Amino acid sequence: MLETKQNSPRSYRLVGPQRQLDERETPHPKVDRGEFGARLRDWRKNRAGSDPFRRLFGGGGEGDPNNTLQQIMKQAPEGKVNPNQIPVDDPAEMAKQIKGVAQYLGADVVGICKLDPLYVYSHRARGNPAMGEKPGDPINLPHRFAICLGFASSYERYMSNNSKISDTEYQFGNNHAIVPTFQLASYIREMGYPATAHHHGRSSVNPIPLAINAGLGELGRHGMLIHEKYGSRLHLTVVTCDIPLAVDEPVDIGVEEFCKYCKKCARTCPSHSIPFGDKTVVNGVEKYAINVESCYKYKLAGRGEWTNCVVCVSSCCYNKADTWYHDLAMWSVKVTPPKLRVLVVKPLLWIDDLIWGKRPWKHMKWLGYDNAPEPVYCTIDGCTAKHAKLQHKKLHTA
Amino acid sequence: MTYVITQPCIGVKDKGCIDVCPMDCIHGTDADSMLYIDPDDCIDCGACIPACPVNAIFADNNVPDKWKEYTKINANYFIGKKK
Repeated sequence: MLETKQNSPRSYRLVGPQRQLDERETPHPKVDRGEFGARLRDWRKNRAGSDPFRRLFGGGGEGDPNNTLQQIMKQAPEGKVNPNQIPVDDPAEMAKQIKGVAQYLGADVVGICKLDPLYVYSHRARGNPAMGEKPGDPINLPHRFAICLGFASSYERYMSNNSKISDTEYQFGNNHAIVPTFQLASYIREMGYPATAHHHGRSSVNPIPLAINAGLGELGRHGMLIHEKYGSRLHLTVVTCDIPLAVDEPVDIGVEEFCKYCKKCARTCPSHSIPFGDKTVVNGVEKYAINVESCYKYKLAGRGEWTNCVVCVSSCCYNKADTWYHDLAMWSVKVTPPKLRVLVVKPLLWIDDLIWGKRPWKHMKWLGYDNAPEPVYCTIDGCTAKHAKLQHKKLHTA
Repeated sequence: MTYVITQPCIGVKDKGCIDVCPMDCIHGTDADSMLYIDPDDCIDCGACIPACPVNAIFADNNVPDKWKEYTKINANYFIGKKK
């Protein structure tokens, strides 16, 4: 058991000793081992892979892994650290430089925090032969800093949620974030300092708590980072490194009060995985605890779609198109003193339901894909249950 | 794991569980005396539990001893019925 030295931000609180997680305990390795059943394992391996366009972003099936960037980058070796180390006199200047490079490479938001070893996995689930790593190897990551990068997905395509369009956007976002992250780590190694890229292809860290500590946003009721401008449609990657850097502080953008009253994600979550109740303590952390397994299983099963749902991301009031009135609304929450925020949040929630709907969703046609709800055909002989498409189901209540 | 509908559903068939099931894995015909959960499709979210007015639904590892056989009854219902 490790004790953390990190100050706790407002959206989660450290209340007890924490245990480092083993990457093998996370959902992807579990389903690959068949712990969620043969059917879900087969869906994960083959469902998305039935479409050639989707196979660009992973998905298995009959596809060749060498046609998928993510699969290639999983196996890419890490370059050597340049022996000619560039001296760093001012960590604040270096942090500014690195943030500038990260944004040039394609990151929409960047923040830096100390690398808390609690958020490094204890053992890896997958090996990388090019690095001499095997599944089950203990992870030794002695870096001091974590540079957290966020890559925003399309608001519009996410609004087609629980469809092949939003699934593609999600997977594209994961793949899109790989190269800039790889290049930023390479840049730091070329400056003469150790650095490792953690992205969708390969990662040894949990990016969400690190991004919160790095000031990219706060932890939402749905268990994801909420950024002031992009809501939760950020793909997070991390570069851990040992170059001297100034760190950022956790931010208060009002998520604590917003999530307390909003609960829109809990009402719309298809798999009922997001709690309506108060925070609970999980592994020494007080936070809103989602049901990871039912969320993950639904995401994979996906009601005949591919493998990602993103209903909660689309529903979140912080997830809106880039407009001045959204900026004004979020600014008004942020600048209001926490105890008075309820007076701002409740009218905003009413306006949100009025303008964007209680279950935000849009019909969209894109590249030959159409997310119009289709009738549900029951596959059981004689069944007379009135099954309904997600968009027609009742919203959940506490 | 899966969830299982047990004896209290017989004759009640409120169908509130059908509305909330995200996987549409609760089935039954008008002639059946109760509803059944397809264990192959159930993702264990538990949404059906609070929706049931007669507390007939349990996780398969939590079914009361007196209704243990319903785990098999639910699973067997689907044998030969899938299109």
